[in-house]
Amino acid sequence: MTQYRVSADIGGTFTDIVIEPSDGPVFVGKVPTTPDNPAVGVVNGIRELVPNLEDISFFVHGTTVGLNAFLERRGERVLLITTAGLGDAYTIARGNRHTLYELRYQKPEQLVPRRDVHEVRGRLAWDGSEIEPLNAADFQPIVDKVKAEGINAVAVCFVHAYAHPQHELAAREILAAALPGVSISLSHEIAREWREYERASSAVMNAYVAPVVERYLKSLRGELHDLGMQATVHIMQSNGGVSTAETAQKHPVFTLLSGPVGGTIAGTALAASGGRKNLLCVDMGGTSFDLSLVMDGHANATLETELEGLPLLMSIIDIETIGTGGGSIAWMENGAMRVGPHSAGSIPGPACYGRGGTQPTVTDANLFLGRLGEKSLLGGDMSLDKQAATTAIESLAPEAGLDSTAFAEGVLSISNAAMADAMRTITISQGVDPREFALVAFGGAGPMAAAFLAEELDIREVVVPRFPGTFSAWGMLQTDLRHDFTQSFFRAAATVVGADLDAVFEELEANGREAILSEGVAEADISFQRSADMRYLGQEYSINVLLDSNDTEAIGKAFHAAHERRYGHSSPGAPVEFVNLRVAAFGALKKYGNEDPGASGDAAMLGERQVVFAGKTLTTPIVARDSLSTDYKGAGPLVIEEQSATTVVPPGWHVTIDKLGSIVLTREEG
Amino acid sequence: MANVDPVTTEIIRNAFVSIAKDMNATLIRSAFTPVIYEGKDCSVALIDPEGEVLGQSLGLPLFLGNLEICVKLIAEQHGWDYFKEGDVFYMNDSYMTGTHLNDSTIIMPIFWGGERVGFAASRAHWLDVGAKDPGTPVDSHEIYQEGMRWGPTRLYDGGEPREDVIDLLRRNSRFGDATVGDMNAQVAAGRTGEKRMQALFDRFGADTIWSARDEIFRQTEAREREAVSALPDGVYTAEGFLDNDGLGSDPLPVKLALTVTGDAMSVDLDGSASQAKGPVNCGITQTIAAARVAYKLLICSDVSPNGGSFRPLEVLAPEGTIFSAQEPAACGWYFSSLGLLIDLVIKALAPIMPDKAAGAHYGDSMVITVAGADPRNDDQFYLMIEPTTGGWGASRGRDGQSSLINNVNGSFKDIPVEIFESKYPLRLTRYGILPDSGGAGEWRGGNGTYREYLVEADSDLFLWFERSVTTGWGLFDGGAGSKPVVVVERPDEEEVLELLKVNGVKVPKGTVIRSHTGGGGGYGKARERDPAAVREDLIDGYVTRESARDVYGVEFDAEMNVDTEATARLRSG
Repeated sequence: MTQYRVSADIGGTFTDIVIEPSDGPVFVGKVPTTPDNPAVGVVNGIRELVPNLEDISFFVHGTTVGLNAFLERRGERVLLITTAGLGDAYTIARGNRHTLYELRYQKPEQLVPRRDVHEVRGRLAWDGSEIEPLNAADFQPIVDKVKAEGINAVAVCFVHAYAHPQHELAAREILAAALPGVSISLSHEIAREWREYERASSAVMNAYVAPVVERYLKSLRGELHDLGMQATVHIMQSNGGVSTAETAQKHPVFTLLSGPVGGTIAGTALAASGGRKNLLCVDMGGTSFDLSLVMDGHANATLETELEGLPLLMSIIDIETIGTGGGSIAWMENGAMRVGPHSAGSIPGPACYGRGGTQPTVTDANLFLGRLGEKSLLGGDMSLDKQAATTAIESLAPEAGLDSTAFAEGVLSISNAAMADAMRTITISQGVDPREFALVAFGGAGPMAAAFLAEELDIREVVVPRFPGTFSAWGMLQTDLRHDFTQSFFRAAATVVGADLDAVFEELEANGREAILSEGVAEADISFQRSADMRYLGQEYSINVLLDSNDTEAIGKAFHAAHERRYGHSSPGAPVEFVNLRVAAFGALKKYGNEDPGASGDAAMLGERQVVFAGKTLTTPIVARDSLSTDYKGAGPLVIEEQSATTVVPPGWHVTIDKLGSIVLTREEG
Repeated sequence: MANVDPVTTEIIRNAFVSIAKDMNATLIRSAFTPVIYEGKDCSVALIDPEGEVLGQSLGLPLFLGNLEICVKLIAEQHGWDYFKEGDVFYMNDSYMTGTHLNDSTIIMPIFWGGERVGFAASRAHWLDVGAKDPGTPVDSHEIYQEGMRWGPTRLYDGGEPREDVIDLLRRNSRFGDATVGDMNAQVAAGRTGEKRMQALFDRFGADTIWSARDEIFRQTEAREREAVSALPDGVYTAEGFLDNDGLGSDPLPVKLALTVTGDAMSVDLDGSASQAKGPVNCGITQTIAAARVAYKLLICSDVSPNGGSFRPLEVLAPEGTIFSAQEPAACGWYFSSLGLLIDLVIKALAPIMPDKAAGAHYGDSMVITVAGADPRNDDQFYLMIEPTTGGWGASRGRDGQSSLINNVNGSFKDIPVEIFESKYPLRLTRYGILPDSGGAGEWRGGNGTYREYLVEADSDLFLWFERSVTTGWGLFDGGAGSKPVVVVERPDEEEVLELLKVNGVKVPKGTVIRSHTGGGGGYGKARERDPAAVREDLIDGYVTRESARDVYGVEFDAEMNVDTEATARLRSG
């Protein structure tokens, strides 16, 4: 009997579903998201595609439920407990400014107001020695307040707990006994890194979203179970792995960015099977686009990020958001022509959506120039108003002294150049050259702009994967269980021998093995990746170095090389220290991996359109994506349409289909 | 000249800014010292062949718009033909660059097809340039005590590094390798600018680029002149005082008259203090930059600066003042007067820009330095230097921020307790926001900061705290913020020291150092503040019950709710 591996990516507007049957090629679906209870949309979507939920062997999903609760500030009221004398470190938030030219600058609004930050006595020194024992009596007024005011979540962050957690652990005992049912987040369990403000912020975020995520996961598990699904519910984590919903409920902050990382993981899967090791992954929607990097086959990750100015310490796929998209508005100022940063968003949206927008946007320009067809969106389910786009463009073109065609193409040239500029700056700050990358374009708007962005960046190859509109959901099916474990390890590298490292790593791996086994994976399918955070003595920030042996000399060399790559220089003679040892524990998940036989025979022509490229109107064939076989050879000008996206191929670009079914665009030399 | 369409102009305008950003990203990525890669104490600019800015990254505010002046100064000294392909120039002379000797300017001419098409320039703070004491001495009275002073000097000559010159730089720093590392990072930033600028010329050609540049400058100038024209003509004045010159002088006046005439504005510093003996002087280049920062905070703040920016603004500083330092004036703490100058420009303009202006902030970097031998680390020398945050001024509709770094600083972050205690034999025992220290007002000034240190090994204390004479003033009847103070209690000593500036006082093990920084000024009358907002402040501990009653005229009942009747009585009284 056919079994199904199923993934769902719950976005703000649509829930994307990808199904991998045990005996056939992958297929996809897209249903409206049901914001009040996202589980309803997921269940609806799955039932349309899978006849019987009992046949689902694996289910994973990504969700923005926690993230949205944060962005809309509808999380749980949190009370923060800190070390006596130092509670304001959280409110001061390190005293820095994010933007420097603002007289009326305001710090990011913290999730816990000052009135709910409380201090208790008890103090450890930097080396863990106890200066003052934890004062249990100080908890009493706090406990009273939590009870009296019905607070459901408490976060605890004591100084030096990243290395010496004894007071935080004691605090939990006191709180758990006095406050049954209240969720308690300890800073050292969220992040074992120094910097008390950042750690407190991470623990608070966890406490803030915990009840929301827990309620949601409970509801989703219940509904799927009621419908007969036996498979465990898995959830995507920000680190690029998956975890069971049950485990995720303990530290929901780790799932905060579970949606967008799917695209990057999908990129690594392409890299693993397609031979391209360096990818710039571009996920473009209506108001912004997400950029992430796959380097040498690995998703570029970071140990720290910020959400609306609030820091989070955790292992996370590094995704940069750039505020340009199909909704970016063109406008005039003192004779200058600008595009963005204002966006028409989805309401009213571009003029051509016919929802009241009157200003010309990037999408209007694409439609006006024929790159997008009036019936191109959602396989024709959404029709676009070309007249409205034309009116919007004609209303502004004279002010720029341009005819409408030149104006519309100008809108795209300006926005493409600006997006490429932003992408280039990001790659330069990572120490890489975009020309050594292939560009992977997905999301609804990515494939339309991809070739133009590649031209700006001097990139010669563009890949549009199968099902570009549901690529993130597909990525979720390519990943494995993953749990991260960290132990602080402050030692000068010169004093460390391999056995010291092994002792710590083996303990971390034992924890990892236990976690993965408890999620139902066999011993043989468990693997580990060891890494160390290291730095030159005296530096504040460390670099994470992947380790494949315990040979300290080789580890030193790997650190110098990583430093060279990240910062452009290294000091091989200088003393190095260890900061943290980390283990990522993986539990391999079975994938069916059926080859998609793809199409055979000739490409299906959908017709022709007049499309403007570089000022010339060219009669351009429109072909159906689903009809393109691996034998297909095409060339621009060409437009390739499918359910979820439109790929525009300008003159000078060649088209082939690779064995994974991806559209591959390559630029002619010279 | 070609006639350029607005699309090409906009692409080129964005490219200029993007090139500057890429240069900045390169510099930060490859810098050696945290003051650059973490504190972002640096700035870069892409400059045209005549010395006008094409694009600048918004780095350290005080470095705004002074790199192009350095290019012009070299040309004035030697002529434009002095720049050869492959040259790299270094300079740090305070009287040319304007700032202290640690701020190192590196300028590279960019060539395309044998023609000079611009300059890539950067400035970054180097940790140590060989002053008499580590870092920046607080008691210097001649520039020669502040480090090696360089006029424009080639580090590379026609593409070849001058190893002897670089060696001299290295030998004259306490951290020679880091100095050369940071120098290389600046050269790398220049190379990034050079490569991208050449690619831009390959794509568009010189005629198109220069026509676009002229149009970009025209647009920027037009926008700024439009904004200045909207202000009523008149002469607007403001005055304040620096506490002293660091060597015990009387307070030093900073005085300005700001004149708006049509679409132009001038800032005249006549009447400001004469050149001081202590290290509070700066070169005229930096004075112009500071005036530009103030202007930029109020006018077209969202526009990336270029050669068309600041054209409506003229800065006049008579010779012989602290704002136009001449050899051998000491310049180590050049920025204290400039933070005040920026606040004063805003004060002068407040009556005609009431929606954009804000009360003054706490004023200066408030730098504390503790140094000595660390017994935990084989008695190795340790050096702890940190600025301190304070309160910012309120503005219409918005309370001032508490505990925020001062206006002339970059992306400073305080040192976390955990890092602080791990690195230094000092313990942070208290750190927080000081209630009632912000100026009262309908909109409340931000509160200052307290930070308390317990010294755990015999050490020396150095301080540079300012702005106790002219504290953070309010606007439109708003109250002033409190003033800074540092209290030192030593074991076995009766006398409790109250200090602001000091160059090395012994602080034995067991000493407690308490620093308080000032608050920002309020905006509008305190008694017109919404009682509900006063209640929130009381609950959050930003004001005390006493000041809620005595200053704001708000009384509360036993449940902490506003007592409306009592409040009305207080406020009508």
